[in-house]
Amino acid sequence: MDNRVYVIGRDSAPQYLRLEAGEALAMTLVFLPGTGGRYCLEVDLCGPGASLDLAGLYLCPADGQLDLRVLVRHAVGGCTSRQLFKGIVGGTASASFDGLIYVAPDAQKTEAYQENHALLLSETARAESRPQLEIYADDVQCSHGATTGYLNPDELFYLRSRGIPEDEARQLQMQAFLAPVARRLDEALAEEVYASLP
Amino acid sequence: MDDLIKDLSSQEYKEGFVTDVAQEYVPKGLNEEIIRLISAKKQEPDWLLEFRLGAFRRWQRMTPPYWGHVKLPRIDFQDIIYWAAPKRAEDRPDEIDPALMETFDKLGIPLREREVLAGVKPKGEVAVDAVFDSVSVTTTFRKTLAEKGIIFCSFSEAVREHPDLVRKYLASVVPVGDNFYAALNSAVFSDGSFCYIPKGVKCPMDLSSYFRINASGTGQFERTLIVADEGSSVSYMEGCTAPMRDENQLHAAVVEIIVEKDADVKYSTVQNWYPGDAQGRGGILNLVTKRGICKGAGSHLSWTQVETGSAVTWKYPSTILKGDYSSSEFYSVAMTNNYQQADTGTKMIHLGRGTRSRVVSKGISAGHSENSYRGLVQMGPAAEGARNYSQCDSLLIGSACGAHTFPVIRSRNPRAIVEHEATTSKISEDQLFYCTQRGIAPEDAVALIVGGYAREVLSRLPMEFAVEAQKLLSVSLEGAVG
Repeated sequence: MDNRVYVIGRDSAPQYLRLEAGEALAMTLVFLPGTGGRYCLEVDLCGPGASLDLAGLYLCPADGQLDLRVLVRHAVGGCTSRQLFKGIVGGTASASFDGLIYVAPDAQKTEAYQENHALLLSETARAESRPQLEIYADDVQCSHGATTGYLNPDELFYLRSRGIPEDEARQLQMQAFLAPVARRLDEALAEEVYASLP
Repeated sequence: MDDLIKDLSSQEYKEGFVTDVAQEYVPKGLNEEIIRLISAKKQEPDWLLEFRLGAFRRWQRMTPPYWGHVKLPRIDFQDIIYWAAPKRAEDRPDEIDPALMETFDKLGIPLREREVLAGVKPKGEVAVDAVFDSVSVTTTFRKTLAEKGIIFCSFSEAVREHPDLVRKYLASVVPVGDNFYAALNSAVFSDGSFCYIPKGVKCPMDLSSYFRINASGTGQFERTLIVADEGSSVSYMEGCTAPMRDENQLHAAVVEIIVEKDADVKYSTVQNWYPGDAQGRGGILNLVTKRGICKGAGSHLSWTQVETGSAVTWKYPSTILKGDYSSSEFYSVAMTNNYQQADTGTKMIHLGRGTRSRVVSKGISAGHSENSYRGLVQMGPAAEGARNYSQCDSLLIGSACGAHTFPVIRSRNPRAIVEHEATTSKISEDQLFYCTQRGIAPEDAVALIVGGYAREVLSRLPMEFAVEAQKLLSVSLEGAVG
């Protein structure tokens, strides 16, 4: 399956998508440092068997505000959607993620998953997440998860005790955190993402 | 199976009877005169009247909140009787009206203090404050409690006998203008329970308030204030029922809990207001503000709720974790059937360092009901090393109901951890088949599975309540299997 990668602000990214029966789409959104404002994405799964595999990473290491809104609507049954978002927020930046999974009445056999993980790097950074489920059918499997946390000091200690300088160790930690999404990018873009980490 | 459903959905709400007692009312409607009248009837001091009037003036400028995932019928606030009391209960007579006694007996609430046999302590002793419409009719075990310095009485009595305490803590957790319904409650609140546990005292028995709406056309606006001073601990329970009626009745309560340093409060609710009939007619509109503050270091507040009643539930028991290393828990089972709607959850506001909270919410929706979890977890800039873990599961029974999750997570501290997860599922055919194949009737199998699903929460309830809650769940569920 093709994986379409969009760097927001550089590529023209879709804001509305409609998947018909049997269509499969894999998509990755990248928000590089300096991308501010609001980005909204709406996906309708309109035919049975449609599947969506959506991933995103947002990097707000310094300042600015990013507001990310994703709505995935399961209009008919038998569709699958997966979402995985990872974000790093530092400096005075604030990032918010608002994700809604909507399952219409009678959209049975729906599978929908959503995850959003954010790392906070500084005292003045803010992260907000609103993962939401709105479900009107019973034979479904839906879940969402959201975490906010920080770089684990034990991991950092482990790396440093093996002679890796602190800055580099931190980089490694952040790369590992982003890896599940970053591995969907081509090498050049992944390099760019890693290079932009604080 | 269809017959089974029909058969069981006609199950009656067994607390739906009306007690025939002589009652007195204030006139219908709401204005400053009514508030003065309520205040005069209760012989309140001036400061409390001023408090009520201030709240009323604020309320007039407020609009009802619309963000809940519920469809509320239009409430005409001028069409409600704001105060109703059984006539003979005036000034707390020594003898309780036998009709009231019978009512509470029927509901299984012991208003007589059981006699203590020589040296044998009766098991499961509970002190009860029983509120009938707008007044508290009796509070049991007061003497036993007073020996330890514990104050447990009706709110009106507390205003008369402990005005300093009431004045100090009233509206300190839920400010008058907090929200539309809290403001309304502050203006017209009738009665409720007041409880003060002095420094270092462990309350020897569970305290309990029991709320009963009886009169027609009235609303109930109770106010509960619990103060646990340094190092004390108490377990508090709350129960409620109402008669079956075609009209919607409003219940807008405020509960405030203050937990000082190292104190421990456990607040349990089994909410069983009349949920309306199978077509969604009538039922209680349960619009409640409950909030506690963990004021001192190391304090702990635990909320446990089982919500099975009410046509509409709008309720978010919340904790402000202000003291360093304080902790709070929220365990909830919300069950909706027929046309019930529930929008419930919690707010955990972490201010102090090292504060911890845990949220476990289990929603069960059946019939045409709507069941939502709505929550907020907030980490303030000073909440160093704070942690939260939330888990919200929904169980759907039948294809016409809805289950929703609307959490908000806000973090402003780089050394705080917040984790949230939610799942939605149904009772699978496999599970049912496994049970029925072993000779367990489908109804029992569902009760078994739901019991297992809700166990984590039910196991937190005090003994007497846990049994009742388990029964309630299976009764509310009956007729839901399809």
